[in-house]
Amino acid sequence: MPLPPQVLRELERIVGAAGLVVSREGLLTYECDMHTFYKGAPEAVVLPESAAQVAEIVRLCRRERVPIVPRGSGTGLIGGAMAPEGGVMVSMTRMNRIVEIDFANRCATVEPGLINLWLSQATREGGYFFAPDPSSQMVSSIGGNASTNAGGPHCLKYGITVNHILGLEVVTGAGELVRLGGKTHERPGYDLTGVMVGAEGTLGLITGVIVRLTHLPESVKTILASFSTIEDASETVSAIIRAGIIPAALEMLDEVVIRAIEEGIHAGYPKGAGAVLLIELDGPVAEIEAQAAPIEAICREHLALEIRVARSEAERALLWKGRKEAAGVFGRLTPNWLLQDAVVPRSKLPEIMRELQAIGARHRVVIANVFHAGDGNLHPLICYDDRVPGELERAKHANEDLLHACLRLGGSVTGEHGVGLDKCESMPLQFAKADLNFMARLRRAFDPDSIMNPGKLLPSHPACGEGFRPTARPLPTGTWI
Amino acid sequence: MAVSTPALHDALADLVGPAHVLRDPVARTRYAVDGLVPGVVIRPADAEEVSRVLALCSSERLAVVARGAGTSQDLGNPPRRLDLVLELGRLAAVREYVPEDMVATVETGLTLAGLAAHLAPHRQMLALDPPAGGARSVGGVLATHASGALRFRYGTGRDLLLGARFVQADGTLTWGGAKVVKSVTGYDVPKLLVGSLGTLAVLVEATLRLHPMPPATRSWQVALPSHAAARAFLAALLDSPLQPDRAALLDAAGLRRAGLTPDPVGLLLSIGSVAEAVEQQGRALEALASGHGGRTEGIADAAWSRLGAAVDAPIRLRLACEPRRLLDWVAEAQAAARRLGVETALLAQPGHGVIQMAVWGSQEPRRMGAELVRPLRAAVEAQGGSLILERAPAELKGDCETWGSISPEILTIMKRIKSEFDPNDCLSPGRFVGGL
Repeated sequence: MPLPPQVLRELERIVGAAGLVVSREGLLTYECDMHTFYKGAPEAVVLPESAAQVAEIVRLCRRERVPIVPRGSGTGLIGGAMAPEGGVMVSMTRMNRIVEIDFANRCATVEPGLINLWLSQATREGGYFFAPDPSSQMVSSIGGNASTNAGGPHCLKYGITVNHILGLEVVTGAGELVRLGGKTHERPGYDLTGVMVGAEGTLGLITGVIVRLTHLPESVKTILASFSTIEDASETVSAIIRAGIIPAALEMLDEVVIRAIEEGIHAGYPKGAGAVLLIELDGPVAEIEAQAAPIEAICREHLALEIRVARSEAERALLWKGRKEAAGVFGRLTPNWLLQDAVVPRSKLPEIMRELQAIGARHRVVIANVFHAGDGNLHPLICYDDRVPGELERAKHANEDLLHACLRLGGSVTGEHGVGLDKCESMPLQFAKADLNFMARLRRAFDPDSIMNPGKLLPSHPACGEGFRPTARPLPTGTWI
Repeated sequence: MAVSTPALHDALADLVGPAHVLRDPVARTRYAVDGLVPGVVIRPADAEEVSRVLALCSSERLAVVARGAGTSQDLGNPPRRLDLVLELGRLAAVREYVPEDMVATVETGLTLAGLAAHLAPHRQMLALDPPAGGARSVGGVLATHASGALRFRYGTGRDLLLGARFVQADGTLTWGGAKVVKSVTGYDVPKLLVGSLGTLAVLVEATLRLHPMPPATRSWQVALPSHAAARAFLAALLDSPLQPDRAALLDAAGLRRAGLTPDPVGLLLSIGSVAEAVEQQGRALEALASGHGGRTEGIADAAWSRLGAAVDAPIRLRLACEPRRLLDWVAEAQAAARRLGVETALLAQPGHGVIQMAVWGSQEPRRMGAELVRPLRAAVEAQGGSLILERAPAELKGDCETWGSISPEILTIMKRIKSEFDPNDCLSPGRFVGGL
């Protein structure tokens, strides 16, 4: 439904003509995030420059009962930053400043549109970094990271985004502009900061973030171990965790992905290996040296073909480049794919990898894997060709079987990507009615008129499962998982 | 319906068994909250019984205060009303524990010591060590957001609670979060419940992230001659690659009460890692300390478990400030106490800007409020911090309120949450921030 002209006029008054996008071509950019299956363009995009403008926008939209969809860099993988019901999209790209770096308190205050990596670059000389490192960190925004509670390879040691957020400035769905948390680490009252992080814009809009800065480790050691089978690699992961060693990162790539990476990026992964583990240790020199020895021993016990330690920062960067840009080479593997983000208890990794292979065989689809093995967060990529009749259906069945298998083992639907539009129909698989009802009421406390990112996160909307047929589209050129 | 009616007691006895309905007036006084004696104390056996009891309380509009080990019942405003205390000590089972996952699901009445004993054979731990914490219940520690020296590396219950089973005010058994170490499926409901003091729901099961026990650990006391030296040393420590796992700062009185050498300022640190790293970092720590005029001596690991004794007083304030201002507020708090002429001891969390100040003294509450609590609170609130009464007699709470001030806009949101989940105001009514 088009927005009434007076609403558009008011939006223009708030953000200025330069901050308002209404043309059909202009809106095209905003019709989807990296989950390109789901399309839904807003009627207008606004690009505010201050929290006060955001508050005005929300109050206006609340008065007019117009849906609001927040958007950071648009790198999400769950159809979170698109507008299934139209309405107003609030893009935070113009609010991208570092407001303050406060080394003495080990924190920084930033605007939500700030690119994740820029903060670490700005604090590195001072000896600090922002620990959450989603693979998209060179383009994704900190507001988006907070909104989806993003993870990343190093959250195995450092924790996910919520563990690094000290405070937020938000505009709730009710139009209140409030500062939650802050530089002090305790504050009387409910932990509203903790609730807002990961709420995917369904409770309010994040207009400012106070993040914790982490001291750079004294040293880093990156080990690549290759195996002939994915079972051996999985058993290795479980054995490392069982030994009481928590590396900074523990990533797995399977044969299909290794081949594609080598063809596309040339990261120096051993071609022909059935699986590769990327193991990173960081911390005091003596500690990582002492931990590296048992890790190498465990790899050998599990029949590692090769164990290689990056000897320079350049070698290390190349190994990580292969991992972080893995999703970008998926186009070499398959014309279309479905991406999962389910989690299993880490002791169940060998079991789920066996199950995954069986599911692929049963449904005659290739399932490629590149994922955060150390915390059991899978990213199976179910390959199909939309032009071949029946392949999409087979891929969907494989997807469902896999999700059910993860949940049967005590897992979770999504480990770091979020629910968005993509997974809200899966929510009842993990939560009972009472649990979902609790969440719906929590939402109502922040957003009494249900204007904030409607149709996302909770399975109450017809948009979940119905009406959103995947479309045949070329792959997005840059995608990060 | 008045809680004392025999019919209600009989109904409760039907739910939990007569042996677990405490009606005796003398026995009930032990469960008083800020002087309010509950009409009845109920000891449910499991989550289902908690659910049935709360459903009954909800239909009868009874005011309920949940109780774990009972060590922190002093936290909070005096309840507006109190009919029933729900004592959760019988919910003490470890429900699921797969050591390889480093995750455990336990009932919330289990004590931290009980849980630690269960995990120790696998050389794992729950990294939560609030002062005098061994006797405290998992649920109580989470509901009060209690923390200790391990916070320095591992954070608090906020960081360690992965999933929670809880009973809503109307008795609905509900689950939030996940049983795996990483999940973003739906809202992070556990975050809402940590620190909510039983005002939104009663926690009955907690799924917790565990950590491996470090293979080697050593502890030190760094004696510092002055606040200035302590401030400089602490800043240098935080800015160094050293990675202590525990940290606590005490004043001379606190050190003395914990059985340690009463230096003017003492920083307790431990390093847990592989033996080689403990040795290497220990040497680096000593060098860093001596560069700041500090003297380092090794202390026994047992010293950490005595920190609770340092601040075990009838009155305890908890001050939160910007981490970098910690020593400034230590000095402010000490000066305010000196002016009032009360005996105090301090225990602080370096790196987090939290100070617990124990107060002994016979000052009348009004003077204590007017000359210590209120001025200190006003000063720290003006700088974005807070000061709460972690423990205090009801008269002092009456005089200066437990939690301090809160922005009206934020309180409005919290009120909406409270009325959404406890519309009849039955769960710990009035105990929380802003009278929630």
